[in-house]
Amino acid sequence: MIELKGVTKRFGDETAVDAISLTVKPGELCALVGTSGCGKSTTLRMINRLIEHDEGEIHIDGRPIREFDGRLLRRRIGYAIQSTGLFPHWTVARNIGLVPRLLKWPAARVRERVEELMGLLGLPVDQFADRYPAQLSGGQAQRVGVARALAADPDILLMDEPFGALDPITREGLQAELRDLQSRLRKTIVFVTHDMDEALALADRLVVMKAGHIVQQGTPLALLRAPADDFVASLLGGDDRGLKEAAITQVAERMLPLSPRLLPQARVHRDATLRQALAVMFREHADRLAVVDDEAMPIGELSLRRIVGAGRDGSGES
Amino acid sequence: MSGRQVNAWAAPLLWLSLLLLLALGGDWLEPLLRWSEPDARRVLYPQADLLTLLVRHVQVVAIASGLAVVIGVGAAILVTRPGGRDFLPLVAQFASMGQTFPPVAVLALAVPVLGFGTWPIIVALLLYGLLPIVRNTLAGLEGVDPAVQEAARGMGMGGAQRLWQVELPLAAPVILAGIRTSVTVNIATAALGATVGASNLGAPIIAGIVNNNTAYILQGALMIGLLALVVDSVFARLLPARQ
Amino acid sequence: MSRREAPLNRVVMALSLVATATWLALPLASVAPNRIVPGTAHTATDLLGWPLALLACLPLVALMALSRRLDRVRCHLALALVLLLLMALPGWLAIASQWLVDPELPQARLGIGAAWWLSLFWLSLMLIELRSRLALVGWRAALLPVVVATAWWLQGAWLGSLALGQELDGRRGDFLEAVVDHLLLVGGAVGASLVLGALIALAMRQSPRVERLGFAVLNFLQTIPSLALFGLLLAPLAWLAARFDWLSAIGVSGIGWAPAFLALLGYSLLPMVRNTHVALSEVDPGVLEAARGMGMGRGQVFRQVRLPLALPVVIEGVRITTVQAIGLTAVAALIGAGGLGSFIFQGLGQAAMDLVLLGALPILAMALVADALLGALARRLDHRRLASPGGAP
Repeated sequence: MIELKGVTKRFGDETAVDAISLTVKPGELCALVGTSGCGKSTTLRMINRLIEHDEGEIHIDGRPIREFDGRLLRRRIGYAIQSTGLFPHWTVARNIGLVPRLLKWPAARVRERVEELMGLLGLPVDQFADRYPAQLSGGQAQRVGVARALAADPDILLMDEPFGALDPITREGLQAELRDLQSRLRKTIVFVTHDMDEALALADRLVVMKAGHIVQQGTPLALLRAPADDFVASLLGGDDRGLKEAAITQVAERMLPLSPRLLPQARVHRDATLRQALAVMFREHADRLAVVDDEAMPIGELSLRRIVGAGRDGSGES
Repeated sequence: MSGRQVNAWAAPLLWLSLLLLLALGGDWLEPLLRWSEPDARRVLYPQADLLTLLVRHVQVVAIASGLAVVIGVGAAILVTRPGGRDFLPLVAQFASMGQTFPPVAVLALAVPVLGFGTWPIIVALLLYGLLPIVRNTLAGLEGVDPAVQEAARGMGMGGAQRLWQVELPLAAPVILAGIRTSVTVNIATAALGATVGASNLGAPIIAGIVNNNTAYILQGALMIGLLALVVDSVFARLLPARQ
Repeated sequence: MSRREAPLNRVVMALSLVATATWLALPLASVAPNRIVPGTAHTATDLLGWPLALLACLPLVALMALSRRLDRVRCHLALALVLLLLMALPGWLAIASQWLVDPELPQARLGIGAAWWLSLFWLSLMLIELRSRLALVGWRAALLPVVVATAWWLQGAWLGSLALGQELDGRRGDFLEAVVDHLLLVGGAVGASLVLGALIALAMRQSPRVERLGFAVLNFLQTIPSLALFGLLLAPLAWLAARFDWLSAIGVSGIGWAPAFLALLGYSLLPMVRNTHVALSEVDPGVLEAARGMGMGRGQVFRQVRLPLALPVVIEGVRITTVQAIGLTAVAALIGAGGLGSFIFQGLGQAAMDLVLLGALPILAMALVADALLGALARRLDHRRLASPGGAP
């Protein structure tokens, strides 16, 4: 659990972060979004005391962070950044084992943990353990960066645009992996990004920042449905945000049980998003779809009226 | 505007006037130099007047650096053209080897071939000064944004047009910086020529070492230092301010 | 190598042509009845006669033929040919010495001619070119000069009448002493400047004012001509040695090693401090941020991250400094510091050019060897330049 209460940070005359309050619950992935210079990275770096806050209080698990020694605090908080910050003169294995070694784990346990993490992040040990960072692709380096952040099994993970420098396909792959990892590990994660799609895809809670203030926070759906002002609305994609909502809602949520009517030809998987369902309708010129499970057995159906939510909040049909 | 221009040339002019003062000052510098060498019979270098030595020094450096610029920039341009690309690794490696040859050794090796006098030091300076010029010209030309090159080709510019209108102007600051390093280093190194009989500002230094007369050494050293400052500050004017 | 038809290698072609022209046109050796009289020059065609001289060109013609389509196999062949030619170079001098030098004249000596030196130069360039074409690195690249040097050493016995050898014979002890003196001065100055330079660089990182002041002083030192700096230290050191007995007791005086050492140290400091400072400052901020973010302390970050990452650049500074110091130590001979420079200046004074060579050639060799060794060390320590084998993302 991370709590920020009235936290302020000034650099000279400039106020980078202005009296923000924020709570991140255990196991929650909280995404800080905003344009560059809005104070999101500063906020992140105050949590592990890479930057000291000027006013207000930051608590981790109920204790103010000033009570901890900065270095010991950072060793129990995972940290991954955009440029990966991998040490170029160390092998992959040594990079990943950094924090466990700082914590003076016995060598055998460090090695075991490194191999476990490499397995978890899809980096075959025999192939990658002895490589140097210069010999990795961007996506591989980023995986090593995440593995290093997870090495000492921290409860809290801070990530500063970890996938920002990657091409879109690699980025989406790693996002899916992070979601998968998070569903298993349930870490408390604070994630800074300027990519709204990334934030919508990953976050349990979305925090929109502007000029050092928090403009709005809540679940992605809540923000998409009721943006607090024009800034949040435009950040969320303006008129496109209906589609963004469709992109984070699963077919299973809107599907209706099978009706006695003839089953439509066009079909969509139950785990697909509404946006994908719309795409299928558009392509197949159909206004009804059969919803299928993993074995391709029909388990329900979905109509255009259902997708746009007519009858739920009445805002759909146009 | 004109005030700012005068200001811009203040540093070179100051160093130049100090240099000329030393070269022409003659007798009334004696008390100052006497301070460094109170017991010596003479403190003013007597063999030749300092102005002549200064001119000879400048001549040697100018010839060597001029040749180094022509050869260095020329070679770097040739090996970055499509026809000369084959020679690029060799030229780059040779230039860096040239810097490894100590000037004294080159000077000594040149004497058997060229005899005593001015030519050995010109050859030594030429070799030693080549690397910064070749290296910087290569870096400048290779550093031109490929997108700009592509655009120039896309607009239909020919090879020569691209070289003169795009590549060289864009690379000019880097090339000039290389020439600056080369020339200022050569001004100091040229003094070595005095050991093989070239008469330049190294001569008072050698005479000072041989006769144990610090005043002679001071005169030579000060003038070489000031000459380097004049040239360096002129280059500083020519080059846009470094970031 | 590409699988397409291997292209014409213009470099090897041009160098072989020039080498052939040099060989046929310029004097290969000269013979002098004694040390001072300038010798009479002999070209290869004088010496061997046209048929034999042309025959000796055959390997060069073969190189031209190979360079017309230089694929990987031919590249290896060409490398072998160039190596053989280089190894055989002293042989021509041995032949010249057999045929030209009159055994009745014990003072008669053989000078090495322009054709010989230039052939060495062109062949070395070819060696460099072929080495980079074949991408030879590490010990295999280092082996090439070692093989050539060994071959030359083995042929030493037949080169008795070489002027260089005669100069050496008379002063073998002096020569060894000079080499040792030279190395000691260079090693001492570079070692001391490494320690002092690192301390100065560390102090500069503490305060920008020290940084500005330090660089101003060191830059100023560098603009004083080396000759003058040696000279300017004479008087103050003589004065100090006269004043303090313990200084003269350890050998400090106006001339000799003390001013030479101080001047070398002064010159070595700038490149050393600059490289160390740049090396320590230019470590990727992302890496440092990550190190701190992982909970490393200041000392840990410095020892485990900053220092190892800076090391290759520091070694690069040592390389520049060492090469520079090897040359400057030669100048130090003018103020009685000994070393190989004393042969150069003695030789220049007596107009005995072979004695000059005896001083200059080892200096050149030392500089090249130091450059190669330290360069290799810096590359070895640098993991950032490893080529990526191109793994999938």
